[in-house]
Amino acid sequence: MKRRNFLQGSLALGASASVMGVSGCVNKGLSPQTPVTFKPGEPMPWINWAGNESCTPKWRHNPSTEDELVAALKTASGKVRAVGSGHSFSAVVPTDDTLISTDLLSGLVNHNPDTLEATLLSGTRLHQCGPILDSIGQAMPNIPDMDYPSLGGALATSVHGTGNEFPSMSAYITGLKLATVTGDIIECSAQKNPDIFKAAQAHVGSLGVVSEFTLQNQAPFQLTEVNKVEPLEDMLDDIENRCKQHRHFELYAIPHFDMGFSVATDIAKPEDKNVGEEDPQAVNTLRTVFDSLTMVPFIGTDLYNKALQTVLGGQVEQVRTGRSYQVLPHVRIVRFREMEYTVPAEMGPTCLREIMQHIKDKKLPYSFPLEYRYVKGDDVWLSMFEGQDGCSISVHQYGDIDYRPIFSEIEPIFWKYQGRPHWGKIHTLDAKRLAQVYPRHWQDFQEVRKSLDPNGKFMNAHLKTIFGA
Amino acid sequence: MTIRTINFFVGLLVPFFLIVLLGYASALSAAPTQRQLTLLANNCLQCHANHETGAPQLGNPDDWRKIKAQGEEVILTNIVHGIGGMPPLGYCSACTEEDFRQLLRMMTGLPDTDNHEAGEQK
Repeated sequence: MKRRNFLQGSLALGASASVMGVSGCVNKGLSPQTPVTFKPGEPMPWINWAGNESCTPKWRHNPSTEDELVAALKTASGKVRAVGSGHSFSAVVPTDDTLISTDLLSGLVNHNPDTLEATLLSGTRLHQCGPILDSIGQAMPNIPDMDYPSLGGALATSVHGTGNEFPSMSAYITGLKLATVTGDIIECSAQKNPDIFKAAQAHVGSLGVVSEFTLQNQAPFQLTEVNKVEPLEDMLDDIENRCKQHRHFELYAIPHFDMGFSVATDIAKPEDKNVGEEDPQAVNTLRTVFDSLTMVPFIGTDLYNKALQTVLGGQVEQVRTGRSYQVLPHVRIVRFREMEYTVPAEMGPTCLREIMQHIKDKKLPYSFPLEYRYVKGDDVWLSMFEGQDGCSISVHQYGDIDYRPIFSEIEPIFWKYQGRPHWGKIHTLDAKRLAQVYPRHWQDFQEVRKSLDPNGKFMNAHLKTIFGA
Repeated sequence: MTIRTINFFVGLLVPFFLIVLLGYASALSAAPTQRQLTLLANNCLQCHANHETGAPQLGNPDDWRKIKAQGEEVILTNIVHGIGGMPPLGYCSACTEEDFRQLLRMMTGLPDTDNHEAGEQK
């Protein structure tokens, strides 16, 4: 069964449920996507992708060169924050004082064909990196499953894809130039200012504004991604093999459903062909079916499980093949809010099983698929994967539903497994708790941070909480 | 290929080519600045020149007919708030009101009927 058939089947289920008089409660507990009200002629607000964070800065700077960035920092007033594409869900950006946007600080600076390194300005969007690097015979070894963020934002928060052999993107930085609060430019690498380098590879914008990154790339390559519907337990039982067999492997676990989606990605073979079409609205369809069927008293979630099994009982297979930077990312047009924790890799299956069982046992009204990925350990001080291979589990809620009830149900489970929250996603940990999950380098990072920004000019309310400044 | 050429092609020539090729937008609006073209390429075109997103496509007047009928003020407000699959600000944190007006005119083919003098913010 192809994806399109799945959608048609799902829609039919939703329609049938409505006819049966069990139409769902899709409007219950909804909140506006964006709390900000803008009228033409008023000061332009800043709002993040998810619509859950906003601010109206008094001063805005949009540098297009390093010199302009330095000048902006030298004259900046109040709390200073930098922003790329605004894709973070956590409150890393909001400031009512000075906001520096890196939209115009984008493009290739130089490259080395011998070492396959390239230097890119920090505002360059990931979706631009693929074609730029391809034109110079390079490609990033791995990227996240969407390519909207800027390099600066992605690398400041240790963004990652999936794959046993691939650390977070921050680990591919071989050099960077950091503009400090005083307007100095510090060049860093493993050899030059190594402590600042290790701190700046993932610094949540607390050390300054990075003007450019040098990244270790590889030769361009083609990938083929295969999506299937499979029993969740079969995937978890076989997870080590799956991760060894495939260059990239991830799965989606669907609440109240015994099956999930597997996504296996490997180097493309010449005979690989695209099969089916990706539907970025699929999670909305799932929501419609869930909302409709779970209204049936007592048996709602069981009915949902059975109904999805009927529709998805055959294998749903979708194949996407092409250049790496075209296959790894996916379209994301359904608004949601996200929490993600990384637990030690070996604890991943147990942690996911506990989450799924908790949702089932408490009959939580929750249908958004959970994303489950593996990332190789690295040595970046504040990377979620520092010192250990990690399993990242992402929990999403639709953008028009209050995310707090479901996140508060699941977040404590992550704590039991020594989870480290994604810096760009929603969590409730403060500096004291974060220091416990980063025992090796938390203090090292704090010393670098205090030396570069002694007066806490980059510390907005959120950063004060997470760094204890 | 020089770095300047690569950046030029990726950042500027692609949207410029689209606009020139599909002409109608630029025929109706004042010429965008280089800065606005960079903002267009970095932000807007990732969806509005990508059929897979389901977003109305640059250069396809049929996609924009109903949107255009809403008028510039409504479209501007929707861009800032985000609407449907489009996130607030259309990803563009550097865009001023004047930038958004210019970019939406390019997209929709709306004429520049008012003389908005918000100016270019740096």
